[in-house]
Amino acid sequence: MSIGILSIIIFLPMVTAFLLMLIPLPSRPTRNVAFGVSLAIFALALYIYTHFELTGALQFKEFYPWIKSYGISYSLGIDGFSLIILMLIATLIPSAYLLLWKNERSKSYWINMLFIQSGISGTLFSLDLFLFYFFWEAMLLPVFMIIGLFGSGNRVFSTLKITIYTIMGSLFMFVSILYLGVAHYYEFGLWSFALSDLVNITSIARDQKILLFFGFMLAFAIKIPLFPFHSWLLQTYSNSPTGGVFLLSSIMAKLGVYALVRFMIPLFPDLFVEFSLYFVALGIFGLVYFGIAAISQMNIKKMFAYSSASHLGFITAGVFALNVQGMMGSAFLIVAHAIATGGLFLLVGVMERHLGIRSISGLGGIATKAPWFTLYFAIMLFCTVGIPGTNGFVAELLIVLGIFHYNPYLGVLSALTVLVAASYMFWVFQKAILVKSDNNVSHMKDLSRHEIVGLFPLAFLILAMGVYPDLFLYKIEPTLQHYLLDILHVGVH
Amino acid sequence: MQWVQLGYLLPLIIVGAGAIMLMLLSPLEKVSMERFSLFTFLILLSALSADFYYFGELFTSFPMQEIFSKMLIVDSYSVYFDAIILSGALVTSLIGTHYFQEKRHFKKEFFSLFLFSVFGMMLLVHANELLTAFIALEIASLALYVMIGFQKIHDKRVEASYQYLVLGSISGAFFLLGSAFIYAGLGTTILGDMGKTLDALMGKDVSLIIIGGTFVLVTFLFKISAFPFQNWTIDVYDGSPLPVTAFMAATFKVAIFGFVLRLMLIDLDPIRDIWDTLFIVVILATLLYGTFLAIIQESLKRMLAASSIVHTGYLLIAFVSIGYAGESASSSIIYYLVAYFLSAMGAFGLISYIAADEHIRVTYEDFRGFAHVHPYMAAMLSIFMLSLAGIPSTIGFVGKFYIFTGAIEAGYTFLAVCGIIATFISIYYYFKLIALMYFYPACESEWDDVPSLRGITPITIGFIAIAVIWGGIGNTFIAYFPGVDFLIESARLSYMSLFIK
Repeated sequence: MSIGILSIIIFLPMVTAFLLMLIPLPSRPTRNVAFGVSLAIFALALYIYTHFELTGALQFKEFYPWIKSYGISYSLGIDGFSLIILMLIATLIPSAYLLLWKNERSKSYWINMLFIQSGISGTLFSLDLFLFYFFWEAMLLPVFMIIGLFGSGNRVFSTLKITIYTIMGSLFMFVSILYLGVAHYYEFGLWSFALSDLVNITSIARDQKILLFFGFMLAFAIKIPLFPFHSWLLQTYSNSPTGGVFLLSSIMAKLGVYALVRFMIPLFPDLFVEFSLYFVALGIFGLVYFGIAAISQMNIKKMFAYSSASHLGFITAGVFALNVQGMMGSAFLIVAHAIATGGLFLLVGVMERHLGIRSISGLGGIATKAPWFTLYFAIMLFCTVGIPGTNGFVAELLIVLGIFHYNPYLGVLSALTVLVAASYMFWVFQKAILVKSDNNVSHMKDLSRHEIVGLFPLAFLILAMGVYPDLFLYKIEPTLQHYLLDILHVGVH
Repeated sequence: MQWVQLGYLLPLIIVGAGAIMLMLLSPLEKVSMERFSLFTFLILLSALSADFYYFGELFTSFPMQEIFSKMLIVDSYSVYFDAIILSGALVTSLIGTHYFQEKRHFKKEFFSLFLFSVFGMMLLVHANELLTAFIALEIASLALYVMIGFQKIHDKRVEASYQYLVLGSISGAFFLLGSAFIYAGLGTTILGDMGKTLDALMGKDVSLIIIGGTFVLVTFLFKISAFPFQNWTIDVYDGSPLPVTAFMAATFKVAIFGFVLRLMLIDLDPIRDIWDTLFIVVILATLLYGTFLAIIQESLKRMLAASSIVHTGYLLIAFVSIGYAGESASSSIIYYLVAYFLSAMGAFGLISYIAADEHIRVTYEDFRGFAHVHPYMAAMLSIFMLSLAGIPSTIGFVGKFYIFTGAIEAGYTFLAVCGIIATFISIYYYFKLIALMYFYPACESEWDDVPSLRGITPITIGFIAIAVIWGGIGNTFIAYFPGVDFLIESARLSYMSLFIK
């Protein structure tokens, strides 16, 4: 049996991690090996990107039967939407390694990072719902370990909290998945958990379908997090180590949105359209609510945590706007926001390493001490706020357009509320970085060479995608058209 | 005489004869404890290999009908259950090696009793008649009562043994009374014949059989520690020597289910619906109360005992589902029993290994920082906890998948949701241990007396850990090697053999 390229992307980090666990290597070589693996995966992802055909169909498919008596298979594939997230992960993770290069001295940190990468890729490629759930939940274990082992503050409590919280959501999704499987069995006489089979089910009554819809939605809403399922967010983000926050905010949260598009749209097209208004409204509400919550934070990590949740609300609103602008904007913002927030959290991690954990009022005047740091910080921040010339601007514009087409009132509202981010982001930039203060920041050092190199691709992408968005949009457009026209049956206006 | 058919009973005969042989050998001073341990192992191993001869075949037969009439049955179903029970016993004897050598109070008779209880359990899944089943049940239970109280200097042991003896005997009396009622109603106690008579009686008054069946189910619920008969579980499990606890929690339940499934599927099938509501109440109460008990425990051993009540609840979910989704639900019970057996065996076994000397170390707090001193043991213990919690990539997850799928298939989505809620609360008490082991610094000195990873016991536990993972990942990567699919297919085959006329 030949092993496909997607399987290699999934299992290379996992296998490496297991080997590293068994071989008594010190931390440094472990880190180097892990970094090498992430580069190898970047190369593979690049290969996929260049060989990806411009259709809405699934490509690079792999299929092996797994539990035959229940029709469960190991089936993988990617379309345009998963492709961009793959590229995102493949680019971000090596960067993260470079930024964490000196931060972490423990071997198990790097091993857990490898496991997380495997889990993320598995979730991204799965076309069988059982397999998807498998990775979705398995992904949680290394996150559990990384926060519990390397976090700060009341880390054990926050680890248990996020674990139990997310598992609660995903267990309801699990019941929904099983219900779909059983419904398929009763309707067609054979077991299957493949997405392509489950979409054919017609026998489920509307009431049950709504419950199933919300079973799935709960899992994704917790992971994203959507209002009101965010109560794990603040504590987890502020107690996690830099790598953990980075993965949670810039990758795993996006997987929530991804799964929403990948599974909920084909499985519940009618409900997706029917409930779209609520979710657009909920997304915009989250945008405002978390934005206001961010303003009141004095801890920079907590502020970015809320800012991240605020943007994810916006992304969700775009997904539910049911048109190509909204969806494309969401896809674009997923990338833009992942890069920018990821970068910001990594930079905050660098700052914490030099200065310790401090509130915003305890900072100031970093710009003169660390010009490179300030430059990168500014680029990421501009992207988050959506300054023209960055990809954040393009994304937010598209989503606002999309929502405007969906519902003009909500569109106007969303356009206005995008400003919320500007208010606190510029304030923190000014207060913590630019303006000199009496606080002692003499321990702050500028970025090292590793860090400058590591952040370069991110900054480059922000600007490149901002100036020339088509470079990126053309790969994903056929997929989104396919979702809208063929599955949701809403025309492109 | 059909001597050929003796082959069918060979595993049973080997274990029974072995038990008697060890009993006769026990007064001999020359034969050492280590020898006894080895003999036990060899007897179980040969019984298991005899059993495997028929494994995977679809058949049913009443061996030596001239002598036993239809009292004993051998079919794919019993072969499968024998295999589980024997492997359970085998693993117990391997895991126990270290424990039995450390604790000097174990005498040689212990091994004979152990084999007798295995014999009783095997006889139970072969029983095709209510009284035979009762005798088998009592053989297994009596041997267990003694095994629990073996360390007679220890108050806790004696109390546990006595409690189990008294309560177990009362529940046994219920079984007898139930059998009597059923006999009064049907005029037979032979499985199969009972079903036929009952079919003929349908539409008439069957209240005697309902009463009788309920009494039999009381015994069943008691032995698997379902609500409201769960109170003995924690004390008895806690009071028993750890390998015995593991044996009881994992293997005895298998045997009980083995018999009751047979009874319910074939004989009480026409009137099974009557108990549905009762069972639903029992399940909800079992899940709720078991979860509550598990959360409040300080001691790890007591937590595992309490959580075994929750696992009983999951099994019962599948048990009520057999009315509407017979095949999936029954095979899911069988699969889950294997899953639980592996995870619980591993967990109990490892804890017994760690706490083998007199320094009793079994509370949560005792495990603070354990992973930093003994990473391999902590990793194994984590695997067992994850499997018990039903996290993907472990066998416990696949087991839960089967059970909940079966429940939904039978239309009990509500019960599946309740099971899910219990599962997610269980994350708390299982993950608490992992968090304690990994997330706190270790006090080096405390761990000096933990035995190192050497000898048969840790190797066995290591293999169980691998099996737990293997059962969860299955045969995707290595074709033709028994994995998830193999287990569930065998379970289905054994289910099918029940219906061969």
